[in-house]
Amino acid sequence: MLDMVMTTGVVHLTVGNLIMWLIAFFFIYLAITKNYEPLLLVPIGFGILIVNLPLTYLMQEGEGLLWKFYHYGLEWEVIPPLIFLGLGALTDFGPMIANPKTLILGAGAQFGVYVAFFGALILGFKIPEACSIGIIGGADGPTTIFTTVHLAPHLLGATAVAAYSYMSLVPIIQPPIMRLLTTEKERKIKMRQLRPVSKKEKILFPLVTVMVICLIVPASAPLMAMFMLGNLFKECGVVKRLSDAASNELMNIVTILLGISVGATMSAEHFLKPEVILVFIMGLIAFAFSTAAGILLAKFMNLFFKEKINPLIGSAGVSAVPMAARVSQVVGSKADPKNYLLMHAMGPNVAGVIGTVVAAGVFIALAG
Amino acid sequence: MIDWNLALKIFTFGLSAVFGSLAILIGAIYAFGKILKNIEKEGN
Repeated sequence: MLDMVMTTGVVHLTVGNLIMWLIAFFFIYLAITKNYEPLLLVPIGFGILIVNLPLTYLMQEGEGLLWKFYHYGLEWEVIPPLIFLGLGALTDFGPMIANPKTLILGAGAQFGVYVAFFGALILGFKIPEACSIGIIGGADGPTTIFTTVHLAPHLLGATAVAAYSYMSLVPIIQPPIMRLLTTEKERKIKMRQLRPVSKKEKILFPLVTVMVICLIVPASAPLMAMFMLGNLFKECGVVKRLSDAASNELMNIVTILLGISVGATMSAEHFLKPEVILVFIMGLIAFAFSTAAGILLAKFMNLFFKEKINPLIGSAGVSAVPMAARVSQVVGSKADPKNYLLMHAMGPNVAGVIGTVVAAGVFIALAG
Repeated sequence: MIDWNLALKIFTFGLSAVFGSLAILIGAIYAFGKILKNIEKEGN
């Protein structure tokens, strides 16, 4: 009888498991009732729940179902590039091509990545761990996961959840920083309407970009190549089926596998450590500095350009697409309801994705 | 023990790569835009 009881999970439950259940329920609650990144938080929350059910061995090396998803999906670097393929098929680079100087704002917003990188080093993290923590500031989930799997896989759960949490909290984190760093007059700056971008330019862009970026930072190739391939599918207009598949079915499938694999890394013994709290704190610092750097760089650029940039679009340089651009629009329209910043903010927003991938490529090349 | 030399190298090369690659992209966008415009003009 006792042997039979011992084969059940109930008697093997730990306090840690119960805490992780609460975290899992919290994520699922946030996703369902608050609509915070539901496509990811539902599978992540469910993954956390089931991996903390004792004796299920879902993450047992070589055996467990979730371990296979994690190993072949994340460790083999399959899932993040496939997500980028879908993102590419969904992204319109038109606003950025129409106003290329907004690319600089996407670069400026990577500053927070390095602030968190040095912050993590000072707190005692090793260089590869600090890289994984720093990249949270890029506000790009798949890039954070890609970098962490390469450099500090034991931090995957913490960095991935931090990145996605802060991405969903963009409308709460960014506006106070934006208001603090800009004057009412600056927030009212109206930008000239963007010129129309030809189809040829849109087709050339992914081809030129993949060559430029991969020649400079070859380690960024898995993400950048798939990102630009997806965009070429979208823009060339002759492979609509592939573009639709990449941005819908494939993207949905890999999102399920990504979410549940990330959740599965969050077993109590791996997640309930003081360093996880530090990861979240440094992630928030990275995010705040990236937002601030984008705004300050826009103000700096205004010293030199005749045509003024509304500094509010600088904060969209953090990648969270398109949420960060929407926040620029919302804060801008509060200063002047007739000011439409959304399309202008999309430029730095998509440039931020490219900037974060480049930063990640350098981390992997030098710290890996 | 943290290798601060490596950390500084990552920082300087990383930030330069981010700004450098995006600056080259800006140049490429302007250049290709002009080339395409000229081709279209000649075509007309």
